[in-house]
This record gives sequence, C-alpha cells and structure tokens, in this order.
Amino acid sequence: MKRGAIMQLPAYYEFCNTVKTIVGHKALEQIPQSLKVINAQRPMIITDKGVEQAGLIKIVQAAMQKSKLKAAAIYDTVPPDSEIKMVNELAKMYTSKKCDSIIAVGGGSVLDTAKGVNIIVSENASDLMQFAGYGNVKRKLKPLVAVPTTAGTGSEVTSVAVIANHEKNIKMIFGSAFLLPDIAIIDSRMTKTLPPTITAFTGMDALTHAVEAYFCLAKNPLSDTTALAAIQIIAQNLVNVVKKPSDTDGRLALALASNLAGMAFANSMVGMIHNIGHAVGGVCGVPHGVCMNILLPYGLEYNMHKASQYIGELLYPLAGDEVYNATKKKERPQKTVEYIRNLIQDLHDATDGKHPRFFKEVVDKTGKQMVPKEKLVDIAKTAMSDPAQFYNPEDLDYNDYMMVLEAAWEGTPLDKKKIKKG
Amino acid sequence: MNILYYPQVKPKKKLIKRIYIAIMLWIVGRAIQAASKVDSDVKDEFAKLNNNFCLKMWIWPNGPAMYVGKTNNGRVKYLGWKDKGYKPTLTMTIKNIEAAMLLFTFRESTAIATARNRLVVDGDLPDACAFVRILNIVEVYLLPKIIAKLAVKRYPKWSQMAPSRKHFGRIVIYVRAFTF
Repeated sequence: MKRGAIMQLPAYYEFCNTVKTIVGHKALEQIPQSLKVINAQRPMIITDKGVEQAGLIKIVQAAMQKSKLKAAAIYDTVPPDSEIKMVNELAKMYTSKKCDSIIAVGGGSVLDTAKGVNIIVSENASDLMQFAGYGNVKRKLKPLVAVPTTAGTGSEVTSVAVIANHEKNIKMIFGSAFLLPDIAIIDSRMTKTLPPTITAFTGMDALTHAVEAYFCLAKNPLSDTTALAAIQIIAQNLVNVVKKPSDTDGRLALALASNLAGMAFANSMVGMIHNIGHAVGGVCGVPHGVCMNILLPYGLEYNMHKASQYIGELLYPLAGDEVYNATKKKERPQKTVEYIRNLIQDLHDATDGKHPRFFKEVVDKTGKQMVPKEKLVDIAKTAMSDPAQFYNPEDLDYNDYMMVLEAAWEGTPLDKKKIKKG
Repeated sequence: MNILYYPQVKPKKKLIKRIYIAIMLWIVGRAIQAASKVDSDVKDEFAKLNNNFCLKMWIWPNGPAMYVGKTNNGRVKYLGWKDKGYKPTLTMTIKNIEAAMLLFTFRESTAIATARNRLVVDGDLPDACAFVRILNIVEVYLLPKIIAKLAVKRYPKWSQMAPSRKHFGRIVIYVRAFTF
C-alpha cells in the first residue's frame, strides 16, 4: 500500500503556549470574569489613537463596566512602531497610577509596547534595554490581557516583542516564555472597522508567519498543525474580507488564523522574510505587514533548493486539494510561489492599487516613496544584525541581501542562477 | 521502604565528554585568534565589534568554557578557559554537555542547535550574529569540507573563497593556533 511521503520528525523540539484564548463574535463580554480569574482590579489600558477613534475602547470599557470595573489608567497614543523610550515612560505611568495589570487593545505595536511595559514594571527595572535578547526575562510578569484589533501579528500568543530603538536605528527583540499574555480575547467587533488596505497587509503578515513557521529550521509537528490551519483559513477568507469588510464571520476567521499563525511562529520562529522585513521597517519605517507581503514570495524563492518539499506542501492549504493533486510534485514549490504572487495581485486589485506589490510602490500618506533605492545598502547592512537569519534554511551574506532587496524593490522574481548553493 | 535509607545516586560527570569539549573549545578559541589576523572577513567582523567585546561560550552548569575578547588596541585574543574576572559582553550558553557533544562532533550545525533551542544567547544580538559568521568561517578553515558542510549552512564555493585563500589560511591558522 502506498502511504505517501513520510513525515520527517525533528530529533528534538519545544512547544509552549499557555495563553487562554477566547474567540467569538462577542467574546469581549467575557472580560470581567477573565480579569477576576487573574486577580486584576486596577488594569491599565494601552492602545493607540486609531483604535480609540474607531470606538473600540468604548466596547472594552462597556464590557468592563458590567462588573463595575474601571481602568486605573488609559494610554491611547502608542505610535505605529513601539519605541523603547515610550515604553520606559509608560512604565512610570503604570507605577504612579498604582495599576496591577495591563489590557492591551490594538495591533502588534500596542501589544509589543504592553509586553515591554510589563517587563519593566514586573522586574522593577528602569530601562528595558537590559532585557533585550532571548531568555533575559526570568520571572512571571504582571497579568496581561491582549485584545488584538488587527488580524496579523499574532502577538497575543507570542513570547516575543519587537521594539524599536531609534537611537541605534534597529529593532530590538525581546523573547521569553514569560512574555506570553495570560489571556487573549478575539472578538470580531475589534477588526470590523479595519480598512481594506490594512486588512490586506495584516492578513499577509499572518500568512508569512505561518509559511515561515512551516519551512524554516525550527519547524516541528506541533507548530506545523497550527501553521497549516492558519494558511488554509487565510487563503479562503482574505480576499473576500478585503472586498466585503462587513463580513464578520470572515473577520473572525482571519483573527483566528492570525492567532494560529502566531502560535506557530512563536514556537518555530521565522526566517529571512522577517529578517529583511525588520530591517526595512527599522531603516525606512515601512509597516511590518507591508514588508512581509512584499518579501514573502522572495523568501520562498531564495530557499527553494533547501526546502522544496515543505514549500511544495504549502500548495495544499493555499490552493486546495484539486489544484494540489493536479500539480506534479516537482512543480508544487514553484506553483506555491505563483499562487502567493497571484494573491498579492488580487489584493492589489481589490484595494484599487493601494496594496503595494514591491518596495518601489510603497508610499507614505503624502505620496512620498518610503524605500528609496539608495537605502537598500543600509537595509542590507542592518539585516545582517538580525537574529531571524539563524532560522532560515539557507545562509545569507551582504550580497545575498542586496540581491533579494533589489528584486523586491523592482518587483522581479529572483534570478535562480544567482542564488548561491553550498 | 524507608526513603531515609534509600541510596543516593550521584550522576556521572561524563569526564571524557568534558575533556573532548574542553579541547575543542581550546582549538576553536585559538583558531579564532589566529583567523582574526589571517582572514580579512574575520578581521572586518571583529573590527565592527566594540573594543570591550568579550565572549564567553560555555556549557551549563559547570563548564568547560572559552573566553575570547578584544584588547584595548583592538587585537583579538583567546583568553583561556578560566574565569579571571572577565566581563563578557556576549554569553553563549550551551544547555548541557550532550547538546555540546552534538555541536562539537558536527552532528548538529550551529543553526540547527539554535533552532532546537540548545543555545541561550545573552548580550547584544547583532554581536551574536557577527560571532556566528566568524565561527562559520573558522570552521571552514579548521575542518575538511566533508565535515565542515555539516557544521555550516552553506559551504563557500570557489567564487566566495578561493582554494588558495582557504588552504593557505588553513595552514597559517593551524600553525598560529598551536604555536603562538
């Protein structure tokens, strides 16, 4: 009897997810009970202006007031990229208002900011920098409830926070199992007002998490299951939700996919797509999801010779069984890349061209190009200092970074002859 | 059974493995010092690090260990295996002796060991990235291709490292590592 490809199991792996996850159309109504369980009585709400103006904080407060619970402090001006100085200031606010827990309502930067604040207030430290790196947070932190308002970062189930250090022009990574929030509440009302362009690139961010978790070096059977589920849900819902933003079932599905992808990459890490994306974000200020969206097909192409089996397997959750079965095994990896390029094009069309396909299309609010070509050198140099490269199947040197960046800037596929193979 | 009289089993110290790892750390440490004078890429990587750079690579909980650091005039030096009050700016801790054996018998590459969470890095991550690149180059010099290919992600081709550079560098690094 033919049994198909044998699943290769790694000799050793680790998986940890201690977050209680509550998912539903009105899941936030559970917040008073959830806060009671973790003994949180004076929570500090951390959010950003966009979330506050969209009226989402009112939904959270209304749910809290049912048990006469009030926030001891609200900070609603977290910038799009969480920043180390602001984290230090927010920690002072937490202490002065005698808060005992944190509710983070927002996207990746808000959740990462909240994690940064939680490190300082729990460790009684004055500066976050001393905890940079992996494993430097060594004790249980204050209660943290994460309420994601984008369906992309998966920060509500990750043990990592990425916080910018503008003085050094880099993004610092903080990693520890203690950074995992206590509770994640996924409520479709929180992502309902997300504009189509943000829905598109945050969805691609989640897809990148799942894809890199599946083909990079730390993949394992446990993270594979959540990664594959996330990819399937995103492939089935992302374009539909971008075209019809009021689709609450689709919204909830995407938020769940982001959560699953977060669970996957928190345990099997990410590779060169995030490595380069962090550098583009650090040097040019491009939103993380936009970078992921542009770099995803390039990361797959670059690693094709090392991870073709896994990349080929991704065609199944992406395109469905009919396409998968109709495609010859050796053609599946390339077909996966084509499928993702088509998905990016579909999102570009569905947003009237606002969803960028390559770096030269990325502009700020004033229409100014955010990634000038002359910045690629700085980006490549910065990328060399990012540890996500460790988990990438193929090695990268400065010239490799430049090759990928130039192709991703122009929007041309990688020249496979130029990819160095050991 | 009275547990007060239960015999206490002391774990073996795995002496042979410890000696093997200590020798490997000594060779790698000496080779890093030698490569910093011989190879331009290693020189460049070290030049970008601060002059107070000090690496401690060790096996938790009792060693062995290796210290490599930069001196005030920017020279790279193998500082030995004993802690003489150094202040490491970068500490790479291998979680146990078995994990170290996998790494130093080249059954697991540095990348796979990292992916399997066998290493804990404490310090500046950009420095850790630079040091892993240095380690990869040193491994290419020290080891024959068939073994080095297991230790590094991508073994350099002729276009990246000419055979003359590799073989000449290998001889000089071995001579310097074992003599000076």
